[in-house]
Amino acid sequence: MEQLIEELKKEIIEVLNLEGMTPADIDENAPLFGEGLGLDSIDALELIVLMEKNYGIKLQNANEGKEIFKSVRVMAEYINAHRTK
Amino acid sequence: MIFNIGDNIVSPLGWTTAENWSAALAECSGLRPYNGTFGLPEPFFASLIDEEKLNERFLKLPHSQIERYTKVEKMAILSAADAVQSAAIDPSAPEVIFVFSTTKGNVELLEDLRGYEPERPYLWRSAQLVARHFGNPNEPVVVSNACISGCAAQVAAARLLQRHGYRYAVVVGADVLSKFIISGFQSFKALSLQLCRPFDADRTGLNLGEAAATIVYARDCADIPAGRPCVTLAAGAICNDANHISGPSRTAEGLFAAVSQVLDGFDINDVAFVNAHGTATRYNDDMESVAMDRAQLTDIPVNSLKGYFGHTLGAAGILEVILSTQELLHHRVLRTVGCETPGTAAAVKVTMGQESTDKSAFLKMISGFGGGNAALLVTVGEPRTATETTGNGGGVKLLAEARISDTDALLPDGTKLSSTSVDTKQWLGELYNHLGMNYPKFFKMDCLSKAGILAAEMVMRAVGQSNEELKNDWGVVCFNSAASLDDDRTYQATIQDPENYFPSPSVFVYTLANIVAGEMAIKYKMRGETSFYVSQHFDKERLEKAVADVFARTGAHYLLAGWVDYDNGHCNVQLFVFKIEN
Repeated sequence: MEQLIEELKKEIIEVLNLEGMTPADIDENAPLFGEGLGLDSIDALELIVLMEKNYGIKLQNANEGKEIFKSVRVMAEYINAHRTK
Repeated sequence: MIFNIGDNIVSPLGWTTAENWSAALAECSGLRPYNGTFGLPEPFFASLIDEEKLNERFLKLPHSQIERYTKVEKMAILSAADAVQSAAIDPSAPEVIFVFSTTKGNVELLEDLRGYEPERPYLWRSAQLVARHFGNPNEPVVVSNACISGCAAQVAAARLLQRHGYRYAVVVGADVLSKFIISGFQSFKALSLQLCRPFDADRTGLNLGEAAATIVYARDCADIPAGRPCVTLAAGAICNDANHISGPSRTAEGLFAAVSQVLDGFDINDVAFVNAHGTATRYNDDMESVAMDRAQLTDIPVNSLKGYFGHTLGAAGILEVILSTQELLHHRVLRTVGCETPGTAAAVKVTMGQESTDKSAFLKMISGFGGGNAALLVTVGEPRTATETTGNGGGVKLLAEARISDTDALLPDGTKLSSTSVDTKQWLGELYNHLGMNYPKFFKMDCLSKAGILAAEMVMRAVGQSNEELKNDWGVVCFNSAASLDDDRTYQATIQDPENYFPSPSVFVYTLANIVAGEMAIKYKMRGETSFYVSQHFDKERLEKAVADVFARTGAHYLLAGWVDYDNGHCNVQLFVFKIEN
């Protein structure tokens, strides 16, 4: 799980163009949206693409992301349970 | 005010305004499910024009050659030909100007040029071909302002007629659907898989549609053909939310401002209905309801035509004005097809059946990506003087100027910076660092928006306005040649390979030319007009005319304006701050 969390942090920084950030700057237990990383609705949609592209998880409804993207740890747990690749 | 002297709609519901009106009155819809179309892996619900039927119809035009034109061009020509005929004007006369409204033109050619020349995906190229088909000698005006394009084109037409000596303006809007457009909206999770439900409590997204629509406007009411009713575009306004490139303001700032401007001095008791954008997305319809609530329009019937035609993109603002005009002329307000149980942030009076009316005006509202909002007021019968927003007289003064090329940047104080980077993309990052900017959004932008924001930062600093304080009297006017083609190619790469098909929403959102203007409005909180025009070459005189028009017709005192182009890795930006001297 810890390895997946690190991998996810790197992927999030890359796909969301979080310039100047390193994995150490992201608290895996902190909320991804709202305060913190300053992500918006387009970032949430891009995380949905990341889940499909890298882990084979297809979300039909953008609202499902609200629960899954609570934190990097929650996201990693979801991926662990549902990944197809 | 200007006068509608001829119009046409080309859609799956008909080839003329009359055919489309009859179909809409019978509550027919062009929307239906598609599966496997355009090679898309997922089904969608849309309104598509059959190209074989289009070709049959097109061949009936004199001098028509199917192979010369793409689908969107054929639709535009067919629509304009019928409108010009009903207006009884000579489209080849120098007193006629063509105004072309489109969001994506021939973007599907990025997947495969199909034998067309490499310039064919450029919006100015399609506009030229349409205008030249009619032998028109003037360089057409191309408006590409995302979903508000059709209404923005009518605002532009009013200025061309009233301030630039043209007698007639042929305003043509057209867009076609493709793998590019549908996959992008799918990546946004914005499409409904069933018939869209505008203003419904359980609305789940929009449907897209193909259409072309044309209105021929005349400067003088004496040019209205005998027997045709007097239809007047009484007022029009464009205002930016300065909120988010893809999300409307929750408090409807831009739309409320635009609606307030066009209704200023007009008795709202004469307004028969509001024709909303009504896309059936949660946020758009909520925002429009809030705008109507703030403008005290909640007792006036409101409808959306998206359940008949889908969202027809660059044609929408023209098509919906034509059909709404028919509603006024026939004293019939159409039902909002698709809406079963209204439910929006503010309660509004959605038409749940056809209603009769004896009133003589309607309000058109529209909003789009880039934060743009527009409102138009149309009347029938005796022309009435709505208070046209009077702008500011006096001379236009240049306050600051900055330039960015592939290798250099010229700052407003005359300092010249030279690139030490390997390419233009990296050079833009170098400039960001040189300016010491702290704007994380910069790194999410496409190169066109990056170049625009860098130049904007230079000139806004020079005039002491690079802060985020609200600037209600600032607007943005941009021109370029490539529209968003550079980013379009990047997006195309995310969908080109079926084995590696992952449409990127963060790339797709920049596939609209006007997003760069929206980014400027957002960063510096400018809530005046934002307009985007496409032309083959930078024409300083045309820019200055557009700037003078905005000063003369809106409440803007300052404009961020210029040429902002990025194409195939090459950057050309010349951005100015202008002030109107009272």
